[in-house]
Amino acid sequence: MSRLIPTGPEFIDIVLSKIQRKTPTVIHPNYKISRIRAFYMRKCKFAQDCFDEKLGQILTDFPKLDEIHPFYADLMNVLYDRDHYKLALGQINTARHLIDNVAKDYTRLLKFADSLYRCKQLKRAALGRMATIMKRQKDSLQYLEQVRQHLARLPSIDPNTRTLLVCGYPNVGKSSFMNKLTRAEVEVQPYAFTTKSLFVGHMDYKYLRWQVIDTPGILDHPLEQRNTIEMQSVTAMAHLRCCILFFMDLSEQCGYSVAEQCKLYHSIKALFVNKPTMLVINKIDVMRPDQLNSADKALIDQIVVKDNIPMVQLSCFTEEGVMDVRNMACDTLLAARVEQKMKNTNKMGDVINKLHLTTPAKRDDKERPAFIPEGVKNKIKYDTKDPNRKKLEKDLEVENGGAGVYNVDLKKLYKLENDEWKYDIIPEIMDGKNVADFIDPDIEEKLAALEEEEERLISQGFYNSDSDLEMDTEVDIRSNVREPRPKKVLDKETRSRLESRMPRKRTRSVSQGVNIARSQSVGTQLINNPTLSKRAKTSMRSQTRDRSVMGLSSGQKEVSLGMKAKTDRKKNLLAKAGEADRTIQTKMPKHLFAGKRGFASDRR
Amino acid sequence: MENNDIGVFSKLTNSYSLVAIGGSENFYSVFESELADSIPVIHTSIAGTRIIGRLTAGNRHGLLVPNSTSDQELQHIRNSLPDTVAIQRIEERLSALGNVIACNDYCALVHPDIDRETEEIIADVLKVEVFRQTIAGNVLVGSFCSLSNQGGLVHPKTTIEDQDELSSLLQIPLVAGTVNRGSDLIGGGLVVNDWSAFAGLDTTSTELSVIESIFKLQDTRQSNIVNEMRDSLIDSMTH
Repeated sequence: MSRLIPTGPEFIDIVLSKIQRKTPTVIHPNYKISRIRAFYMRKCKFAQDCFDEKLGQILTDFPKLDEIHPFYADLMNVLYDRDHYKLALGQINTARHLIDNVAKDYTRLLKFADSLYRCKQLKRAALGRMATIMKRQKDSLQYLEQVRQHLARLPSIDPNTRTLLVCGYPNVGKSSFMNKLTRAEVEVQPYAFTTKSLFVGHMDYKYLRWQVIDTPGILDHPLEQRNTIEMQSVTAMAHLRCCILFFMDLSEQCGYSVAEQCKLYHSIKALFVNKPTMLVINKIDVMRPDQLNSADKALIDQIVVKDNIPMVQLSCFTEEGVMDVRNMACDTLLAARVEQKMKNTNKMGDVINKLHLTTPAKRDDKERPAFIPEGVKNKIKYDTKDPNRKKLEKDLEVENGGAGVYNVDLKKLYKLENDEWKYDIIPEIMDGKNVADFIDPDIEEKLAALEEEEERLISQGFYNSDSDLEMDTEVDIRSNVREPRPKKVLDKETRSRLESRMPRKRTRSVSQGVNIARSQSVGTQLINNPTLSKRAKTSMRSQTRDRSVMGLSSGQKEVSLGMKAKTDRKKNLLAKAGEADRTIQTKMPKHLFAGKRGFASDRR
Repeated sequence: MENNDIGVFSKLTNSYSLVAIGGSENFYSVFESELADSIPVIHTSIAGTRIIGRLTAGNRHGLLVPNSTSDQELQHIRNSLPDTVAIQRIEERLSALGNVIACNDYCALVHPDIDRETEEIIADVLKVEVFRQTIAGNVLVGSFCSLSNQGGLVHPKTTIEDQDELSSLLQIPLVAGTVNRGSDLIGGGLVVNDWSAFAGLDTTSTELSVIESIFKLQDTRQSNIVNEMRDSLIDSMTH
């Protein structure tokens, strides 16, 4: 709830200016009377809607005392007076109904108005009456605005969470304790009622978030005589499920005797029923319980023994015992909460399996040790404040232009045999083949074997002897060959045209053949053996399977290959490279060339 | 990238860690600052996506990537990983391998419908025993648990009997729990190895303490969960 509540006159201004802005403003006497009536009726209705909406907003924004947690209901009663609060909201609600009725009456009257002048007078009267009703709400609105401002500043206390509640006489050191536990920074001053309202602080203990509430000091007198400040404490004590820390100052520096403090305890202990409670002796740097005189000691013993309240000691000044008290209080409260929750078996059913640590039953003798590298244990923890810290990728990013500009160097961490290889560029596609398909774990050995063989062949003079060996066959062939046709002399233009049409040289298929043979490490004389080249080809491809038929059974594969051949036929006829090759399906789509055309509607 | 499901964008094992190539380097540097001294922390994408944690499965011995991984990504990962780690691209219909395989260095839980062939590859490459299992009735075992060699966190609705069965298969202590303030997608919100764990930013302190205990991080004992932390857990889990 954060919307400001305007005062009476402001409220009226807002609505009137809204009517001016949101409804038509021009009307002429010579318009049809029905139109004139509608014009003014609209104004009336609109005014009603505006008031209705605004007042309704106020009514829904304010918490309903019957629907909120009893702690907050009581706190609001203490702070704002329940009756006053309800009355104010009730009046707003009545005003809303009155305005509705006014609008209803005047729209009915407007139906019978016979001129523009009459209509206008009726509208004026309607708005005037609505404004008068709103003016009467001035006090309620003002009060509600104050409540709203105060409510917005109330500490957000969760009534159901783990809470430590600090209470006691004024000046016994409640706020000092609070400041020791949390970072709430409550004001601490050496006079009574420094703390005038509830304060909340938070702290962490045992992986949980705890709420500490500092209450204003309370005096020992009957409930009816308590003032608003004290009543806040009482409300908190009465309604919150919490651990109560009742603070006592044995040194009597606070201005109240030990006997008075004990008496206060007895008078409010009815509020502590069913809540873990602890008697906290503060300021033990000045006075410890064992230094007390026997009368006071007896009083304290009475509380401790008779009511079975544990007594703990601390000094906020020397910080002695502060943490012990906190831990003890938290542990007691947690135990109490858990005990209560355990009774609710429905809720516990969902949780019980999460509280179960399963330890394995041994099923074999195999050891399964953890694997933690040596360096991990003595690793220096990365710390942003350490001047010798490692330079991270994040730092590099900031130095080099920030996110979106900086490009990560993916290759710098490569673990290769030779660091110079890191940035070598490997083509993805070469000669229409995926280079990755040819990567072979044994490629180094094969290359070495080939080179060795090549050297051997050279040294044996294998390549030199070629011409001799082929001599006689060559003669045969030559005798069979016709005299070559005289070379056509092409003019420059035709030649260039022909060449541009046939950029591919024959060499490619040959070189491919050579490669295949080499990868098989066999002699070059086998090049022309068709069966071998086929096998070579298949073995070369065996590194990766054809992904188009991957995962299909052999029967399915045949079917799919058949279908593929069928669909490919047309594509091949038209010499398309694949599905993605450009096609023009219809040269002149009818819808673009028929009928009337608007401007540019036929451009795609 | 404001997301608590860090397990989607990263993969952590005892011998390497993969981190997605994302918008800024902050995410990568979290891993880098903690791990880069001991294991390689590798930027990568899988099939051009950032969801590498869900697409890959791996442990100290190997890494499995789905069939959609490009040759260049595969080459990049191979170049970055130590030689002791095998990498294998798998043809598997259930291609989000991170969701269907949950493993540590010794055992793996897999989706019940995974290919027989894939199962063999998992056993060979990751050097693990493979069990077809579900976790709390969910077939996506990788999404609903996180395992290390020292312990495991499983889906919060896993019954005690199921926990016992899984535990005796995996031979590690298990506990049911949540991450990211009550999320049951353990694999999505938590990545863990034998000496470190990374959890989503929303993870509460109770959740973190359970994680620390069960995975034996920070010298905590696993029995803490049922002893010292028990009350805190009950109080934070019930309302």
